[in-house]
Amino acid sequence: MAETIRLIVPGILRYRAVAVRVVAEAARLVSNSSQRDPDDPLSTDVRDPFDTAVVSAFMEIFNNIAIHAYQRSGGGTIEIAIYPKDRDLTIEVKDHGHAFDLDQVAPLPEVDEDALPEGGMGIHIAKTMLDEMTYEPGPPNVWRLTKRLPVGRKAAS
Amino acid sequence: MATPSFEVTRTIQATTLVVRGSLDINTAPALSEEIDKIVATKPARVVCDLSALDLIDSSGVGALVKLYKNVRAHGGKLELKGVRDQPLAIFKLLRMDKVFDL
Repeated sequence: MAETIRLIVPGILRYRAVAVRVVAEAARLVSNSSQRDPDDPLSTDVRDPFDTAVVSAFMEIFNNIAIHAYQRSGGGTIEIAIYPKDRDLTIEVKDHGHAFDLDQVAPLPEVDEDALPEGGMGIHIAKTMLDEMTYEPGPPNVWRLTKRLPVGRKAAS
Repeated sequence: MATPSFEVTRTIQATTLVVRGSLDINTAPALSEEIDKIVATKPARVVCDLSALDLIDSSGVGALVKLYKNVRAHGGKLELKGVRDQPLAIFKLLRMDKVFDL
């Protein structure tokens, strides 16, 4: 496969579901997963580990752009390019808002049941779910997210 | 996208909160309001049924952590039930699966 899927949505949270649906289907192109809710095949219910990782990471990056780059006020677009290949998926996400300082993201603290975090987990989720995640401050700011099928798992034909 | 919805039922034994669909940055504020109402009754036991929850993000986790903290602050206990698929993967990644006994 050498195709590209492109999508441009307003940089506000209301449009996240649209983008997530496209990303979920793109992940299924690579994972060849048919695992989904049998009662609601159009839902974004993700059950395959590859699809889960891609969708989870993408949701957090979209949130980050809408909240930090566009500061919840919109005013710009999010340009998404998805590159599905035989054994991996790369998603390039561009915005034209404020740059984000990845170095300011604190590592996730040790789990303490008396002090569980209520925020600050998004970038950690994205980074941990993916095989590669890079960020280039712009303009435009560019996130690149890559997830590969694990060794031994059959690729989609 | 599945429509997010919350449903609260109360019995003598427990307050049960059912969360369906997607619990995320768009839907967590509404759940947070529901949590405030639940916590105001100072329940001894809250059961959160997540068997119909399809997707969660960090904001959704934050809302459930808020519920956990506030229920505990009044001496109550929170139990998460039916966590599966993507939400379970997120709880495991954040190492909260043991706290919530998943």
